[in-house]
Amino acid sequence: MAGIVLKDLVKEFGSFAAVKGINLEIRDGEFLILVGPSGCGKTTTLNMISGLVEPTGGDVVIGDRVVTHTEAGERGLGMVFQDLALFPHMTVFDNIAFGLRVKHVDPGEIRRRVEEAAEAMHIAPLLDKRPGECSGGEAQRVALARTIVTNPSVYLMDEPLSSLDAKLRVDMRTELKHLHEQLGGTFVYVTHDQAEAMTMADRIAVMNDGRIEQVGEPLEIYRRPASHFVAGFFGIPTMNFLDGTVEAAAGAIEFRGTGLAVPLDASVDAGLAGRGAVLGVRSEHVLVVDADTEGATPATVSLIEPLGDTTLLFFDHGGARRMVAKVDPDLPVAAGDAIHVALDTANLHLFDAGDGARLN
Amino acid sequence: MTPAVAGRAAGRTRRRRTVLRHAVLIGWGAIIMFPIYWMIQTSFKDSGEWVTWPPNWLPQDPTLKNYEQVFTFDVQAAGVAREATEQPFNIWGSLLDSVLICSISSLIALFMGTFLAYAISRFNVGGSTFRHMVLLVRMIPPIVIAIPLLMYYAIMVPFATETLLDTRISLFDTRTGVSALYTTVTLPFVIWMMLSFIEEVPYTLEHAARLMGAGRIYTLRKIVLPLVASGMVVTFLFVFILSWGEFLLALTLTHPDVSTLPVLLNKYQSASEGRLYGPQAAIGTVITVPVVIMGILIQKHLVKGFSFGMMRR
Repeated sequence: MAGIVLKDLVKEFGSFAAVKGINLEIRDGEFLILVGPSGCGKTTTLNMISGLVEPTGGDVVIGDRVVTHTEAGERGLGMVFQDLALFPHMTVFDNIAFGLRVKHVDPGEIRRRVEEAAEAMHIAPLLDKRPGECSGGEAQRVALARTIVTNPSVYLMDEPLSSLDAKLRVDMRTELKHLHEQLGGTFVYVTHDQAEAMTMADRIAVMNDGRIEQVGEPLEIYRRPASHFVAGFFGIPTMNFLDGTVEAAAGAIEFRGTGLAVPLDASVDAGLAGRGAVLGVRSEHVLVVDADTEGATPATVSLIEPLGDTTLLFFDHGGARRMVAKVDPDLPVAAGDAIHVALDTANLHLFDAGDGARLN
Repeated sequence: MTPAVAGRAAGRTRRRRTVLRHAVLIGWGAIIMFPIYWMIQTSFKDSGEWVTWPPNWLPQDPTLKNYEQVFTFDVQAAGVAREATEQPFNIWGSLLDSVLICSISSLIALFMGTFLAYAISRFNVGGSTFRHMVLLVRMIPPIVIAIPLLMYYAIMVPFATETLLDTRISLFDTRTGVSALYTTVTLPFVIWMMLSFIEEVPYTLEHAARLMGAGRIYTLRKIVLPLVASGMVVTFLFVFILSWGEFLLALTLTHPDVSTLPVLLNKYQSASEGRLYGPQAAIGTVITVPVVIMGILIQKHLVKGFSFGMMRR
């Protein structure tokens, strides 16, 4: 069992800095997901933990050992790769046994442990097959079995589900979470899929442009994104953003954008008046209201997307960007209808227009 | 047009295309195969039939005389030719020379080239343009280096070794000398070909092995080499054939002790008869057969090797 600490971790490839100084503490037994858009440095960070990439600066600590310059094979890690990296010329059995054979484990013991791992991943009937003869889901399980058979204390996973089709991917999420509970090891998981991150992680580290933007539990990140970037990255549909300014008005403070003004609560510093800002509001916090409701803004429905349990209602309110609301599927509206909308003022996110930092 | 009619029309077009394609391939095959056919049938003709006009498409009076001469002429006992079309050589010495020189040089080139290609692929040895420069050495016509090499083989090396080591070592007219040269000449091809096979092996396979604690050599042995084995077989065959048929350098750098088969082939001419087409055809056939047999034996690898780029990742 081991936690991981990353200290001021930097990786430069020539003049390009892929990772620009990361500090992160991954707790022992935690399921931590590194998430971010492609090119944000998440895989490079994972590879520095694994030892496949040597950091330009900073330290990697696994357990109580500084392993920054330790060879990958000596760090006691298990890793599942994006393309799974199964050895195509070996049987499933030999694939799973590879790590044990490298360590010169006794052949009887190898057989016992490989069978045990195969049993755990429900792939016992596949042991004599080649990876090429396995389906996508089966190959996935083989890769997992190969990782768990050596009993590592830390499991690293680099977008392991990206090669699966959508349905299987959702099933494997549940299974991975279950596996984590069973094994009790530390999981560090890289993905660009925010839904994967939300559903599986104990904690999420959101990365962007070589830096960590926010670390927190999934709901915390969803409810209180620390920056414009994080707010936009999580949630489907994407959060509504309105450009405008913070203005002082009659002793209170409000956000003024094109076509609407929204009163802000006390969490916003009154000294920010005059500052350019971006107001974020999730689609479920945009309400369709009667014309006489306080704060109601007139709008025109432009598009309706029924999802079954809910309906996405896209509308124009006179601002630069089209907004979206999550509404009751039975709400009687059609494209072209005139409606009134209001924002749930308890659930607003205000970000600096410049650096994107949270202001409320 | 109803779908059925359209389907029939499409079927006809397809059939016509197939017929045309086969006609072209058969024609091309005939052009390629004709010299081989001519060589084989000439090897069964007696001297009177070699250059008749109009040509005899098949031997009128098939004979094994040419093979007999090539295989059984007793150099020690007879010493001189028994008849005008005979020459005082047999094939065995040259066959041994050729087999030894070609297999050893090809194996060494394959071994060295594979590891060099691995180094170039994974460690970018020589910089990013090196891989494209490797084949440059092949742009030098062999005739340009043949004579300078002769100077080195026959004079400089013996002189240097005698001066420095007090023993004269000559590379001229030795199997070692020719093997070393063939290794050098074919190495660029091995590097070039193996590079394309090794690049097909995904890095992550090696990363996975490395994370499981496998060292570089272990990973090469268990992961990389088995995956490029078919490529190695194809590469070996390719450079073996290159050396097997090489004439100019072997001719320049050997005589009289060592002689490869192409050099021997050229020796079959007599003052009275000119070129001895019968025995030459017999030797030509003997030279071709091993290559064809090898090709058939490793057919499975050939198909796999030549379809690289399609390996399942």
